[in-house]
Amino acid sequence: MTAVTSDATGTPRWLTPSPRNWRLALLIAVVAIPGSIWLAPGNVAFWISFVAVSAVTLAVTINAWGRYPGPLLVAPAIALLFVMNIFPLMWSFGLSFFRFRVNRQAPPRFAGLDNYEKILTDPTVWDRLQTTALVVVFTVAIQMIVGFLLALLFEKEFPGRRVLLMLVLTPMMLSFVAVGAFFRFYYEPTFGLLSQAVRLFTGEPFILLKTPAGALAGIVFADAWMWSPFVMLLVLAGLVSVPKYLYEAAEIDRASWWRKFRTITFPYIRSLLLLALLFRTIEAFKLFDIVFLITDGGPGSSTETIAVYVFRVSFQFFRTSQSSALAYFILFIVIVLTNLYLYFARQRSQEA
Amino acid sequence: MRVSLPFGGLLATTAVATMVVATGLATPAHAENVTIRMAVPDWPPTRIMKQLADEFYQAPSGNTVTLEPDFIPWPDYQNRLSASLTSGEQRYHMAVSDSQWLGQFIEGGYYKNLTDIIAADPELQAIFDDLNQNLVDAYSTYPHKTENYYGFPQMPDVLITYYREDVFCNEAEAAAFNSQYGYDLPCTPEEMNDVDWDMVRDFGEFFQRTAGDELAGATLDDDFFGIAYQAGKGYDFSSMQINAFVWQHGGNIWDETQAPTGQAEGVVNSEMSVKGFEHYLSLLEYMPPVVQTGSMDIFKVDELFRAGKVAWIIQWIGFAESAISADTSTVHDQVNFAMAPGLRKDDGSLDRTSNIGGQPFVLTTWLTETEEQEAIDFVKWWLSEETQLRFVQAGGQSGLQSVYTQPEYNTFRPWNHAFGPSLDWQKDVWHVPDFMELLIQQQEEFDKAITGQQDAKTTLDNIAEFQQELLTDSGLIE
Amino acid sequence: MAWQSKQREIGTAGWGWAIFAGIIAFIYFFPVLWIILTAFKTNADILAVPPKFFFTPTLENFVSVFSRSYIKGQAAVDTGFDRFFFNSIFIAGTSVLLALVIGTLAAYGFSRYPLPGNDTYLFIILTTRMLPPIIVIIPIFIMFRIAGLSGTYPGIILLYTAFNLPFTIWMMKSFFDELSPDVEDAARLDGSSEKRLFFKVCFPQIIAGLAATAVFGLILTWNEFIFALLLTGVETRTVPVAMAQTIGGDIGVRWGLLAAIETLFLIPVIIVVFVLQKHLLRGVTFGTIKR
Repeated sequence: MTAVTSDATGTPRWLTPSPRNWRLALLIAVVAIPGSIWLAPGNVAFWISFVAVSAVTLAVTINAWGRYPGPLLVAPAIALLFVMNIFPLMWSFGLSFFRFRVNRQAPPRFAGLDNYEKILTDPTVWDRLQTTALVVVFTVAIQMIVGFLLALLFEKEFPGRRVLLMLVLTPMMLSFVAVGAFFRFYYEPTFGLLSQAVRLFTGEPFILLKTPAGALAGIVFADAWMWSPFVMLLVLAGLVSVPKYLYEAAEIDRASWWRKFRTITFPYIRSLLLLALLFRTIEAFKLFDIVFLITDGGPGSSTETIAVYVFRVSFQFFRTSQSSALAYFILFIVIVLTNLYLYFARQRSQEA
Repeated sequence: MRVSLPFGGLLATTAVATMVVATGLATPAHAENVTIRMAVPDWPPTRIMKQLADEFYQAPSGNTVTLEPDFIPWPDYQNRLSASLTSGEQRYHMAVSDSQWLGQFIEGGYYKNLTDIIAADPELQAIFDDLNQNLVDAYSTYPHKTENYYGFPQMPDVLITYYREDVFCNEAEAAAFNSQYGYDLPCTPEEMNDVDWDMVRDFGEFFQRTAGDELAGATLDDDFFGIAYQAGKGYDFSSMQINAFVWQHGGNIWDETQAPTGQAEGVVNSEMSVKGFEHYLSLLEYMPPVVQTGSMDIFKVDELFRAGKVAWIIQWIGFAESAISADTSTVHDQVNFAMAPGLRKDDGSLDRTSNIGGQPFVLTTWLTETEEQEAIDFVKWWLSEETQLRFVQAGGQSGLQSVYTQPEYNTFRPWNHAFGPSLDWQKDVWHVPDFMELLIQQQEEFDKAITGQQDAKTTLDNIAEFQQELLTDSGLIE
Repeated sequence: MAWQSKQREIGTAGWGWAIFAGIIAFIYFFPVLWIILTAFKTNADILAVPPKFFFTPTLENFVSVFSRSYIKGQAAVDTGFDRFFFNSIFIAGTSVLLALVIGTLAAYGFSRYPLPGNDTYLFIILTTRMLPPIIVIIPIFIMFRIAGLSGTYPGIILLYTAFNLPFTIWMMKSFFDELSPDVEDAARLDGSSEKRLFFKVCFPQIIAGLAATAVFGLILTWNEFIFALLLTGVETRTVPVAMAQTIGGDIGVRWGLLAAIETLFLIPVIIVVFVLQKHLLRGVTFGTIKR
């Protein structure tokens, strides 16, 4: 008897009601969900779909229990991400092919790639991307360097290390609202600390945010100041884990500092450094609150990042579907960029 | 539909009588608990409203009505409100809304059209007749200045002058000023009411001092400036002042009441508009250095004034309370108020045309019949003379002519005298659904001019070009 | 035994280094210090020119965090800040813990039982962090409304958990990857079950990783603003939203109040980070190192 089609009673296996029969659950779900969406009012349909999806999940879980530990361990995370992130993302992705504005009553109209064409030919988008690229390059580079130097500072045990480390960590614990508002205040020419300090020497108030370059520097400084500790913490975790005897051995070999760093230290911090680089780049692309609070994109539009622009398009201009397309365009860029990182990282690790 | 006042009053009395009878007849068995959930920005005018409602409001229907305002921080108010409305959350029964947002939320089907309700309700008609017409136009009508009504004033706001009496009324300063400019430095609110922009320029030039100089008999330990008005990039923090200049010089913004034949090209960048904008820009050099960054928004102007760094500012009347409070203002006992200045016309009178501020409140479209009735009753209570007077007493302003013309009105706060006469000069910026896009592009271009990257003509040309294209796209220009 | 975790020795430096580090740390900390000082100043002192380093401290700002009068000339009323504060602690705490549990399991799965296309899954998980959150707001709003999650604790907690997951998974996976498989193989040969292997062998070695991940997750969730603004109700509102109340309205920025809220708001995270610091610094790899 082939196990494929039936059990002892002759019923096909996929029809046997059993808690682990996920195929049956899936079949019911596939019928029930579109059916309920079609026939029942929204709320009822939602709950029917919810129960159906839960049933499928449960059946799959019971089926996998003990047999496929890998997928089982991963499943809860995937499920939650699917509901809270991936589903909404698909929704916007779908919307990006329509013509739709939430503040108009006209129903969504299919528009193909029009939205994408529009944003790709829009000079504003390219201008905002350039600004973003500048911000990302500067802020991530500074964060990596400063974070690394700070980690070197705290690599060794010394009196008061724990307290001093806390002081350095506090900037990233602050709220964006406070950092944005206070840095704008620090940069302000009449009351601001920066201007006051410069004035002690020059006698003139210092107006940092007057020029596009100054405004950009102000934003980068605030963001880099806030997030360098993040890099520091990751690098530090790697640094303190390097076995001491390796250095001692290198000492005997009279290896140069650079050589010690390259052959001993770096392998230990490489993966963490990559993680820091990855997450800081992603976050820098999304840089929003600080820009909004410090310069509001000014002077003119010289410091308006792409994240601020997406916000404007979606929540101020209400070009809903266009903003979705724009978001996916950014996603594409970030994916390419992060893949490049990962590619180089993999190459390096193979060399090592 | 403008009814004369006595007639309106009569109607109101009759309606109140009917209402009283109706309340008497309402059986308690039918009384319900109704909650009016309202999205409101978090600031004194809404806090006062909540307090007055809790204390005094009795629904005429006999229902127990609770006002449940959701106090949302001002800077994020628009985001939260638009997220709630556009997502179909249907959470709020009423909302306080900047007048400019009318179009964008009406076109989405979120704000309720009240035209029929008002037409069927003599009490509401009486209220509308009593309101200053400029407020009705700005806060209620969409399309602008048509007879389609959507909102009622919650807190009307206008730009006025705040100034330092200790500086302007100082004898030594006055004498020096007179010898330099050949006319007297204004000191009383009456004198300050007759100030034109040329005099403002003179104040700016005259009172600009550096640390170590003398001011009104005291040595300054920091730079001091004569004048300040809004020139910030955020939200509408330069447009509100620039519009005033443009209108006073005979220029115009794109006029939505002329749609679809009214143009942006040639209007927005007309010679008069450019002249108005240049005039605005020419005064910036007398202002505190922060103006060069384009971040001198209404809050910064306010802060500089309260910290005693500026002699004279233009500011919303709704901010005045903090200028005279000892805990927020170092100059609290030296401040006085007047109407905003204007452009001197050939006949010697002032053109004070200015951009209105403040907010109406609106009803949303998903109210049940009961909720709608309660919301309307609440609005009537809010715009009753008694409640409005209580509101003004606590620091608000009222748009009802029968209220703000009472002599008592001016005694509640030292700035109230500037409110009523200013109302007649108010115009509003666009209410079309594209408002935000128009505003943000315009603020960006203005900011370039304010920070000295671009001249007035180029700026207005850019704005006109953008507006022409955008508005043609959305069918508002043919 | 070889796979038992042992604390790695780190080098020591003397007082000279301590003083140098102290100076750097102080400079780095200065903008924060200024915020804390601002919390103790009166409005006049805050806007003083030149800036005041020495002043008579006042607790007025802290008092008005909890109760202040919204209408001039009236008695101060409760601001509900204690409620916001509780909400912040409860929401951030729960969601970080949840993300740690779910994320660690997933990371262990990804690390020890690679699926076909493992890296692709991991990358897709990462991409959910790449978009500006504003893009998903509208669909999430609709989902929340239908499911009745809008303005509730479960709603915002689940959202924050999902928000924390990508980082947790990536971080924890890199910790699991660093563990030596030899150790586990040895334990497996000893007859340990998979469950035992995870809890007795791997778990003790990744405590440092858990601590680090918890700290990062907490910091991000603690200060999250846009979801908190849009998806919490009156009852579930968190402190960052309350903080935004101080930067606009009728008085512009209330520097003292903003600084006082921020100062109070820092205390819980500082405590948590300080407690976990030992683990943060213990190093990420133990025993034999996988190269």
